[in-house]
Amino acid sequence: MTNLTLDLETVNLTDEQYYQLCIKNKNLRFERNANGDLIIMSPTGDETSNRNGRLTQQLFNWSDTNELGIVFDSSGGFKLPNGAERSPDASWIPLEKWQKIPLEERERFSNICPDFVVELMSPSDSLKATQEKMQEYLDNGAKLGWLINRKKRRVEIYRQGKEVEVLNNPSTLSGEDVLLGFVLKLAKIW
Amino acid sequence: MTNLTLDLETVNLTDDQYYQLCIKNKNLRFERNANGDLIIMSPAGDETSNRNAGLTAQLWLWNEDKQLGIVFDSSGGFKLPNGAERSPDTSWIPLEKWQKIPPEERERFSNICPDFVVELMSPSDSLKATQEKMQEYLDNGAKLGWLINRKKRRVEIYRQGKEVEVLNNPSTLSGEDVLLGFVLKLAKIW
Repeated sequence: MTNLTLDLETVNLTDEQYYQLCIKNKNLRFERNANGDLIIMSPTGDETSNRNGRLTQQLFNWSDTNELGIVFDSSGGFKLPNGAERSPDASWIPLEKWQKIPLEERERFSNICPDFVVELMSPSDSLKATQEKMQEYLDNGAKLGWLINRKKRRVEIYRQGKEVEVLNNPSTLSGEDVLLGFVLKLAKIW
Repeated sequence: MTNLTLDLETVNLTDDQYYQLCIKNKNLRFERNANGDLIIMSPAGDETSNRNAGLTAQLWLWNEDKQLGIVFDSSGGFKLPNGAERSPDTSWIPLEKWQKIPPEERERFSNICPDFVVELMSPSDSLKATQEKMQEYLDNGAKLGWLINRKKRRVEIYRQGKEVEVLNNPSTLSGEDVLLGFVLKLAKIW
């Protein structure tokens, strides 16, 4: 199944209703765009899930050495300033920002855009839709974003205030000034 | 796409939210079961749609002549006494029952179970799920129901308080004591 988008513009699903929908239907993945439309996504498939685990694993390993922030896997959900609810495949929030989020919000979907986001495209994902999502993260405050296109072995790097950079078949990616000292090894992710 | 069922038990979608969902997403068909779960169905397909139009047309012509009630096509939706929201492929309500429904409710989804319902299975419909739906109509007050299985040229007849009768390759169906004098010709429906 490809994504199914339901126009909820006049339905006005509350945040509580959206949260209940998500936790009651864990076999599906949900997002909401800035118009409030509901996007229903099938699970990614096992291979993409494995690669995503590898990616999150490296990010966790790096984070454990410095404790500069908090890492999230693909089940984290964030309500962006534009109202969209998004779940990046991996993401990271600096510790001081995370600590400002009220405890009860942390257990649900926090009102924050992560500083760092990754979208790891599964074979059925649309490149255009994923690019728009990356741009949305930047517009909502993300500092660094990686769009990893496994099928084409290509990575698009999104940086605040800069043109998108495209890397063909890189072996590593640098966390730059956002994830200090982090280097993602891509060998087991392609 | 097969049906997609979302568990909305704790989401508590209001009737107005459900109505807005339906009218904003006319490319999809929706129902709710008695637990409040949302069932999202793809369009039936053109061949099934054509057969359904033929069926509704025969019922409509009979009703025009008799003026005993109101005929609904597959876009009608009814909130049954058990709380489910269902859209039979064709249905009929006696005039006196329809007139008791408040006008503002008639424009949306009325709180009523039609006296007569038809489910015309499309090739992707599940027989078991459709049989359960027919039983639910009976349990909620329908007097006569036809489950038309085109693929097997078989009709199941559901009557209040009686065993289900199965007819193999019938050429006509009688409206019995519910649709007085109605005879459905199946030649163009198979």
